[in-house]
Amino acid sequence: MVEFSLLELGELFVVVAVAGAVGARFGLSVIPLYVVGGMVASPFVAGRFGLPYVLQSETLTLLAEVGIVLLLFFLGLEFSLDRLLAAKTNISRAGLIDIVVNLPVGVVIGLALGWPLVEALLLGGIVYISSSAIITKSLIDLGWIANAESEPILGTLVFEDLVIAVYLALVTSLVLGGDGAGSVVRSLAIAFGFLGVLLVAVQYGTRLFSAVLDVENPEPFVLRTLGVLIPIAGFALSIGVSEAVAAFFVGMGFSTTEHRERIERRLVGIRDVFAAVFFFWIGVNTDPRLVLAAAVPLAIAVVVTTPTKIVSGYYGGRVYDLTPKRSLRVGVGMVSRGEFSLVIAALAAQGTGTIMTELIPAFAVGYVLVMSTLGTVLMSESDRLEALVFRESQESTATAD
Amino acid sequence: MTVYESDLPGVGKKHEIELGDGSRLVVVTHNTGKREVFRRADDDADSEKLFELPDQLARQVGTILEGAYFQPVRSQSIETLLGGDTLIEWVEIPEGSDLDGKTLGEADLRQETGANVIVVQRGDMTITNPGGDTELRAGDTLLAVGPREACRTFQSIVTGE
Repeated sequence: MVEFSLLELGELFVVVAVAGAVGARFGLSVIPLYVVGGMVASPFVAGRFGLPYVLQSETLTLLAEVGIVLLLFFLGLEFSLDRLLAAKTNISRAGLIDIVVNLPVGVVIGLALGWPLVEALLLGGIVYISSSAIITKSLIDLGWIANAESEPILGTLVFEDLVIAVYLALVTSLVLGGDGAGSVVRSLAIAFGFLGVLLVAVQYGTRLFSAVLDVENPEPFVLRTLGVLIPIAGFALSIGVSEAVAAFFVGMGFSTTEHRERIERRLVGIRDVFAAVFFFWIGVNTDPRLVLAAAVPLAIAVVVTTPTKIVSGYYGGRVYDLTPKRSLRVGVGMVSRGEFSLVIAALAAQGTGTIMTELIPAFAVGYVLVMSTLGTVLMSESDRLEALVFRESQESTATAD
Repeated sequence: MTVYESDLPGVGKKHEIELGDGSRLVVVTHNTGKREVFRRADDDADSEKLFELPDQLARQVGTILEGAYFQPVRSQSIETLLGGDTLIEWVEIPEGSDLDGKTLGEADLRQETGANVIVVQRGDMTITNPGGDTELRAGDTLLAVGPREACRTFQSIVTGE
């Protein structure tokens, strides 16, 4: 592979900065814009027009991996098992409705397209997992955060976060485990063995984690956090275990210390930088022509999985005793897919066969572009949607009488 | 008044305060410290954003709302007009005062001045509605209510001037 130069890194940051400015100007979510920015700067677009472009390189991949690790680390940091247990009935009932409806739908679409089971399972994950980043930002921007619908939405996102940790651990073993049932079983055993050890360390290591971070100056504080996180994630990857899940667990370990808020404050900028690199990298690796080639599965997935999310969200809202109107909003609020679908795609790209390495990543990019836009638009236009749905239902009740 | 508290995973905390007319004040405290304040007219209405404040400013506004920010300075004589001719007066009992050690009943201030002691402030302690057997000490601050003239007399008797 060709080396990644400082000039190319500079080009990357110019592109994501411009994408961010465009997003802020037009009120769009930045994640799909970073991806599009990467696509534009890739050999497939800029390269074809003879413009300077960014090559796919090992260095860029490495920086993007740090982005994945930091995204999942922050997820773990925010994630509280206590909170999940405290609200277990509502969150888990809404979460179960969500997963029981949406994950199988994706798997069925994959199988119907004639894909093997593992590929179909990856598709299931991509269409199941909503985007915490995009949805939370929309909730704040629209002021829904102060409404009753924010609780089932955020609660279901927390449930999904836990599921994604287990899911990633599982499919990483399936994708990287190689051929044959024996090697898959072995890599699953390694994955869950390692994660089990990590979980025990997280559970009982609060004091150790605290002690490591017990330093006044910001600089050693940030470095020590990364000094714990990156090696653990890297070690996990080196033995074929999901680095993202390892990072999630390390985040959970740090979340129980008194340093949590400080970590969030100090590292949020670093996370944003590397997350942008990750989304850009996804774009660089995506040939727009392949996205077009994935148009059929893409269209099917959009048409099928938009309503399924709205329906599962609606019933999730009903679990929280919300009115039908507010429950519909929960459904509308869950439509956006984003970062985790792309994390799954990045995992698929490491697999074998053209479906995994080309079709699924291209599909995921197209899917996230459509669903993040559609989800954001649906949320901001929900008034009209509600008027439409509930006027019609009133009319139909009227005619029924 | 009931306050409902709930977690907003990834965002922060939400407090809802019943306002008594069926509406609610909703305060969203972000993990970044930013506070957003909304009002929701009724259960089914959308929350309407009133304002947002950064952490530090929110705390300051909070103390103003609480009434703790405006601290009247206690001097020998501060008077607050209640309306008409009625005042609230703060008077500190000086060292060596005749009142030191007397109970409120023995001091018989109401009979003598026409002003009524409603609160005795002793250091951090506040004795509200003090009775006749409440003992007075030097250093106590007395809050008295009464007509302007009565408060004048009260003040001069307590301070001994």
